[in-house]
Amino acid sequence: MSRKHFSFFVGPSIVIMLLLMVAPLLAAVWLGFQLITFRNVTSPEWVGLENYLFMLGDPGFWNALRFTLIYIVVTVPLQMIIGLGVALLLDQVSTFRGLYIAATLLPFIVTPIVGTLVFRQTFDRYGIYPFILEQVFGLDINFFTTDNITWLVIFHAIWYVTPFAIITLFAGLQTVPQEPLEAAKVDGAGWLMRLRHVVLPHLRSLFLFIALISVMDAYRVFDSIFVLTKQNPIYSHIETLMYYNYLVAVEFQRLGRANAMSVLTVLGIFIILIPFLIISYREQVEER
Amino acid sequence: MDPVTSRPGRVLIHVFLLAFAIYSVVPFLWTALQSIKKLRDASSRTPKFLFSPTLENYEDLWLRSTPENPEALAFFLLLALSLLVCLLIFAQHIPLRRNLVYGIALSGLVGLLWLIPQVLDMARFYDFFINTLIVTVGTIVVSISFGCLAGYALARYAGLLGVVVLIAALAFRALPRLAYVLPYYWIGSALNLIDSHILVIITLVAVNQPFTIWMLRSFFMEIPKDLEESAMVDGAGRLVAFARVIIPVMWPGIVATALFTLLLAYNEFLLVRILTQTNWTLPVAISRFTGGEDPRHLTLAAAAAVSSTIPIIIVILFFQKQLVKGLAAGAVKG
Repeated sequence: MSRKHFSFFVGPSIVIMLLLMVAPLLAAVWLGFQLITFRNVTSPEWVGLENYLFMLGDPGFWNALRFTLIYIVVTVPLQMIIGLGVALLLDQVSTFRGLYIAATLLPFIVTPIVGTLVFRQTFDRYGIYPFILEQVFGLDINFFTTDNITWLVIFHAIWYVTPFAIITLFAGLQTVPQEPLEAAKVDGAGWLMRLRHVVLPHLRSLFLFIALISVMDAYRVFDSIFVLTKQNPIYSHIETLMYYNYLVAVEFQRLGRANAMSVLTVLGIFIILIPFLIISYREQVEER
Repeated sequence: MDPVTSRPGRVLIHVFLLAFAIYSVVPFLWTALQSIKKLRDASSRTPKFLFSPTLENYEDLWLRSTPENPEALAFFLLLALSLLVCLLIFAQHIPLRRNLVYGIALSGLVGLLWLIPQVLDMARFYDFFINTLIVTVGTIVVSISFGCLAGYALARYAGLLGVVVLIAALAFRALPRLAYVLPYYWIGSALNLIDSHILVIITLVAVNQPFTIWMLRSFFMEIPKDLEESAMVDGAGRLVAFARVIIPVMWPGIVATALFTLLLAYNEFLLVRILTQTNWTLPVAISRFTGGEDPRHLTLAAAAAVSSTIPIIIVILFFQKQLVKGLAAGAVKG
């Protein structure tokens, strides 16, 4: 394909991305320099670096950053480990496989607001899980104390994001070459050895892909936190960056500060992503 | 990996898979059960499994006033719906041109959606449902049209520029929503577009474009180059070859990508929450039930959750293969 054709075909999409993603981002940087609320949206007032400095000094911002990083560090590896485990199990069965996959996919495709609400209701005061725990194990657990809610966030993350890892890893397992596996078996390698030295290296780029996507998504997690906290300030320790940013914009009505904060969060995600982006770039250059 | 052959081992595998499947599904079953209980039964301290089921939550959610003969209306509504669904399922066996059959079924569906509020006194929830449909369809059409062009070019072009565009798209995919939704709010206010479908669709297209490009590209890469090259040798230009030869074989890939676009648009909350005031979509409407302590919210939320999930489940039942294929395609090549 010639360069001329390439620009003709890709042009519209590049224009869309420049116009609809780069331009708003630049606008966000500029709006971060303004005193702006919902009342004076169309006539903002220049305040210089004030918003950026305010957000950098805001404990709420650092609290949200801290919890977001914890959330990433806990849920992303957990998702990959459980995802690999379930994918390996799925690879073993053929009866009911479609049914298991369908059931697993359900939390992943459903509207996150609705999914989290549904999930919350089962753990709620009138829900079925506390009842079962009490009847079967004699445990009286309130999942909505400020301590326990953190566990609920993690349970929810496993429920909601693992299907993605399961399906992609399961698809990857179908493409593992059989020859090296047989060779390893002849050489007397056990199941674990074959998993470690044949299967996992084959899945390496897949793991990278899942890590990339789930770090991005975990960094901007919003809907589930919005529902699990019931927008109640007593759960402020599980506020994520996006949720706190939303509070600054919609609840505190400080649009200038909210824009400043979103610019800071964008910087944050790019710092996290640079290694991933470099690896992806090299892979793509090699592949072409 | 070679299969486990011992019997206890195989039983254990099924037990684990079943447990995970149950963990995935229980919240939905529980909520569906709650949605057909009276509030008194739903908020019982020990969960009730024996109760007299009721549709009053759904009535409260969807209807402003109860019609005089609800049974007859419900019957005709279900009849019309199932006729349309049957038409779609058996389209291949009807001795008419397939596009014509699909056209009839779709216009029937639109007509039905228009007819319902004429006959019944529908509550706001119905408007939110219609808004969601408009926004979702609009996003799919715009996003896929541009995405196909770009995805095709990125699959065929070997220059370094292609890689740069791909990586830039990947970086854009990482952007947190608020980083550009707030500027959109600002621009939307200046142009008086807040609360309009157009603004929401444009923003959703922007959010979706990077993903669409990557996914469509991976599907285009599966199509052998000889296909359009032989067409071009026959004298067709690249654009004609693309439209006449490539797009027809791309349909499965386009459907898979459209499916993910559908999920994105149908499910989006934050963006619509900021850019609309009254013209909400379903997630924003349902988010009202997520805070506060109003006891009525328990069963209303359950009914709303079931109502908004059923369309998604129907779509997925039709297209589960494409969904899994899409996940696998994005993954294995990404």
